[in-house]
This record gives sequence, structure tokens and C-alpha cells, in this order.
Amino acid sequence: MSTLLKIMLLGCLSISAFAEEAKLENIQVATDKPALARGAEDWMNNCHTCHTMKYVKYSDLLSLGIDKAKVDGWRGEASVDTPLIAQMSDADAMATFARVPPDLSLMAQARDGGPNYMYSYLIGYYLKPDGTTGNHIFPETKMPDPLGISSVAGAAQRTEMQNTAKSITSFLTWAADPHTTDRTRLGYYVIGYLIVLSGLLYVVKKQIWSRLK
Amino acid sequence: MSGPIINWIDKRFPLTSFVKHELTDYPTPRNLSYWWNFGFLAGIVLVLQVATGIFLAMHYKADSTLAFDSIQHIMREVNYGWLLRYMHATGASAFFFVIFVHMARTLYYGSFRAPRELLWWTGQGLLLMLMATAFMGYLLPWGQMSFWGATVITNLFKVTPFIGENVVIWLRGDYSVGDDTLTRFFSLHYLFPFLIIGAVIVHLVALHTVKSSNPSGIDLKDKDNIPFHPYFTAKDLYGLGIFLIVYSVFVFFMPNSLIEPANNIPANPMVTPSHIVPEWYFLPFYAILRSVPNMFGGVVAMALSVMMFAFMPFLDRSRIPGGARYRPIYRIQFYLFLLDMLVLGYVGYKPPTNPSIVVVGQVATLCYFASFFVVPFVSKIEERWLIKRGLPAGIMELMEREKRDLENRTQEHRRRKGDLV
Repeated sequence: MSTLLKIMLLGCLSISAFAEEAKLENIQVATDKPALARGAEDWMNNCHTCHTMKYVKYSDLLSLGIDKAKVDGWRGEASVDTPLIAQMSDADAMATFARVPPDLSLMAQARDGGPNYMYSYLIGYYLKPDGTTGNHIFPETKMPDPLGISSVAGAAQRTEMQNTAKSITSFLTWAADPHTTDRTRLGYYVIGYLIVLSGLLYVVKKQIWSRLK
Repeated sequence: MSGPIINWIDKRFPLTSFVKHELTDYPTPRNLSYWWNFGFLAGIVLVLQVATGIFLAMHYKADSTLAFDSIQHIMREVNYGWLLRYMHATGASAFFFVIFVHMARTLYYGSFRAPRELLWWTGQGLLLMLMATAFMGYLLPWGQMSFWGATVITNLFKVTPFIGENVVIWLRGDYSVGDDTLTRFFSLHYLFPFLIIGAVIVHLVALHTVKSSNPSGIDLKDKDNIPFHPYFTAKDLYGLGIFLIVYSVFVFFMPNSLIEPANNIPANPMVTPSHIVPEWYFLPFYAILRSVPNMFGGVVAMALSVMMFAFMPFLDRSRIPGGARYRPIYRIQFYLFLLDMLVLGYVGYKPPTNPSIVVVGQVATLCYFASFFVVPFVSKIEERWLIKRGLPAGIMELMEREKRDLENRTQEHRRRKGDLV
């Protein structure tokens, strides 16, 4: 018994010893099409220069209800079935940042904390005393502050940037798993059906077992 | 069953007698609780895994340059591909969950005891095959955790005496995990489920020879047995409904909760993830592996930890029926063992950088093996104590009857062999 107590005690201690280093903001990502369309636009304006999304095509953006003229403007000569390839070439990226910026298609699912991580990272930039920017969430990052949140003074402007970060995060969350809305909608039907079915099966079971004396 | 077609078949194939013997006349103890549903559920999950797997394989590319992309192709472009993949990924976890409950029930009620040892050992073989299948399947998405998990585990075979290095190369088909590893794992991941189906049939034949155990732990009189169909088909189907609800909650509402975030990054041999962690169902065994400071010892301990269950028929020497039901000390042992498994799971999940975690893991590993090694002594002491304290009237009688049954069976066996006339 004393071994058990020791294990439990040590278990409790280790939980406190493993507290998270950086606190992540908790956000609720938007899933409605207008918000996602805004997010796509914010992504195009702030991220597309350097980042690729190889699993998302221009035609996918059309499915969000974005104006066709706008999408045509973004894609230029490329066909609608082209993925969103970064405007900057890999060679240029290597020359500037010494690494190719990561593909963002699955980024919302590729970090512990998911969308919360992404949002906290985007608004996690701050100005260091030497004039360069640092990041609370990912200190080793090579990416310069994409939204410019580190140099913002006013509260109103900061809120606006947080909204942009949130809308980009929502878009990236959609991009990582574009069938989420379909999935949850189907899920309600499936589970509803299964509950009714299980109820009926329970009645059948009761009925059959009642034959036993 | 009757009718000209059935008659025609019955003259050529034992259809009616088979259905009678295995279903409509198959005697099943009427006191089976819902804990006895999980074998049936495991069978259903196996069917679900094979069905979704076959359709996934139609769209999947077992090639290290295409594998990751083909998973995204399934997730985005194949009609309901996301459903297939999430069902398959969640199904792996569901399979282990159901099997763990199935095993826990067997341990709790002592269902592994004579005459069900072979039933238990075929189950042990099935567990090993399931683990191998899950491990190989986990490489196929070709994410970071797939790659590094396979690297770490195949590397363990280095401890094979004399030919360790060669065994690792033979398993991987290369000096490191790569395209050859992926293609062979895919091939074997497709093969193993069919071997499992074969082993399940052996498991069922063994079951139908010795019949189900039951919560009272002894063979029931004929009047307490009821036909499997329709009574247990109805009970199993209701249990299936409840199981599918829980399964669907994971598939439709939290499918990514069981997928490591790092596996959404394509495999990269140049970048090691900061913390390589296996799927939840391997965590306790992984913790045991890491708790032994020496690699050879760790691998042996891990292999032994999975195989320990097979020794239970020898270790448990108590004649008290009903497993933990009539055995208070065994019951405490059972729950402590479950708790120890949870502690090991937690330790396996945490990075081993914290010294207190390492110590907890080592203590829990010792507890894990100790809980098996004390069983022969504790079970005997407990039996003596329980008999001295006075067992409920019924149980003494059951024990006597069980003893007589065993003697009768031995004599019957001898008679058949011609030793006794």
C-alpha cells in the first residue's frame, strides 16, 4: 500500500513539474463561410508571399464563396486547380531566411495546441531592446513579425490585429481539414440514428429475454 | 431451417447442423454480464478495419515520396475519404480499447483458468498480431511520428544476440527506415488482418469447445445455459449500438484527438521530433522499455511485459471459483494492476527528462512484474484464508463440483485413450 501512495505522490509532483512553459491563448475559431473567406483574404495579404499551401487550390477558395474576380486576380495566369504556391521562390527564401518557410496546409494540426498555438504565436511578437523582434511562443522562429503587432501602440489597433490573427487562424484550421463542417453535420445524424437504433435494440433484447423464466 | 434449397445444401455441406451447433443450440451461460460483449465487439471492429482498410488501400500510395500526399488526397478529394480514414485511425484505438477490456474481464473473472488455457493463449497470440499490425499501419501515413516511431522500434531488434545489426537491416530493407520499409510494412499491414481472421477462427473453435466462462466462474448446469441465438445475439447487438455511439463521437467530433500533431508533418530523416511518443495503447509497454537503463534489458522487459498474461493459468493457483468475485485479495490485486497500468501509461507519455518521472516509471515497472510474481503465493494464501474464514455455502459446493468435474473429465480422457476399462 505504501508503494502505491508513493507512486501517487510522485505522480502528483511530476504533474506540477511539467507545467507548460508558455501560456497559449484560447480562441474559438470561426467556421462560417464569410469568416473563412475573410480569413483567406487575410492569409493572401499577409502570408502568401512566403508560404505555400500545397493541398489547397484556388478552386477551394471559390467554394468558400469568395468573389471569382478576386480569386482570378490572385491566381493570375495559373489555372484554378493550381495549389497556393508561395510567391517567393525557395532559392530566394533560402537566401533571405536560410530556410524555406514551412507549408501551411496542415499547420493548424501540426503543433500541440493546434489553432490556439497558431493564434498565440501570431500575436506573440514583441520588440526586443535591441530593436529586433522576438516571439514568446516560439523564440527560435526565423519569421519576422508578419502582422506588425510588436510595433503597435494603441489598444484599438492591437485588437484589430488580434482579429486578423484570429481570422487567419480560422482559415488555416479550415484548410487543415476542409470537411470539418460536413463531418460534424453528418455526425449528428449518425449519432441520432444510432441512439434510436440502440433504444430499439434494447427493447428487442428486453422482449427476447422476457421469454426466459 | 428447411426448404428445398437448404435441403440441397445440407446434403453437400453441414449448414443447418453448423448453425444449430454454433448459434441456435450453442449453450451460453445465462448470467453473462455486459462485460462478455467485448469479444463480439472486437470481431466487429476487425471487420470495420478490414472494410475501411481495403477501400483506403485503393487510394493510398505506398511510396515514400507519395504516401503523405496520398493521405491528403484521401482526406480532401476522395468522396468520403475523410470518413474512411478517420474510421480506420479511430478504429485502431477502438480495437485496442475493446481488447483491453476483453482481457481485463478475463483477468477479473479468472476466465483463463482450466480448461480455457488454450483459449487464453490464442488470445495472447491475437494480441501480438494486433500490436504488429497497428505498429506497421502507423508507418503508412509517413508523418514524423510514423517515421521516428518505426525507427525507434525497429532499432530495438539490434539487441538480438550476434545477428542484431542484420536483423534490423532485414526488417527495414535498408540501413535506415525508408521507402523499402514503407512498402514492406504496407504489404504486411494488408496481410496480417487476414492472419488475424484465421487466428480468430481458432480462438472461436477453442471457445466453442470449452464454452464461455461466466461470472460465477464454474461450469453451469444445463438449465442455466441458454442458446446463443436469439438471447446473446440480441444482447450483443444492443451492446454494439452503444459501442458505435462512442466510436462515432470520436470519428465525427474529435478524430484528431488520437492523432499526434507531429504526424501532420511529413517524415523527415534529418529532423528528430523533440519527443517521440507511441500511440496510447503502447504507452505502458513503452514506459517499461524506457524504465530499464540497459537497452537489452529494456527490450526483454517490454517483450516479457506483454507475454506475462500468458503465464496467468500457471500463476493463479487458487481453486476458488469466480475470479475476483469471491476473492477480495485478488480483486485488490486486479485494481492495483489497472492503476499501475495507468501510471505506466502516464510515464510513457511524458518525456524522460524529469528524474522523478524516471523513478516513478521504474517503481511502476517493478510493481507491474511483482503483481504477476506474487500471484502464486497470494492466491494460495488467500484460498486457505477464505476456506478458514468460511466460504458461502454455495461456493464450497461449487468447488467440490468443479473438482469432481475435473476428475470426471480426466477419467473420461483416460477411458478414451484406453488406459481404464
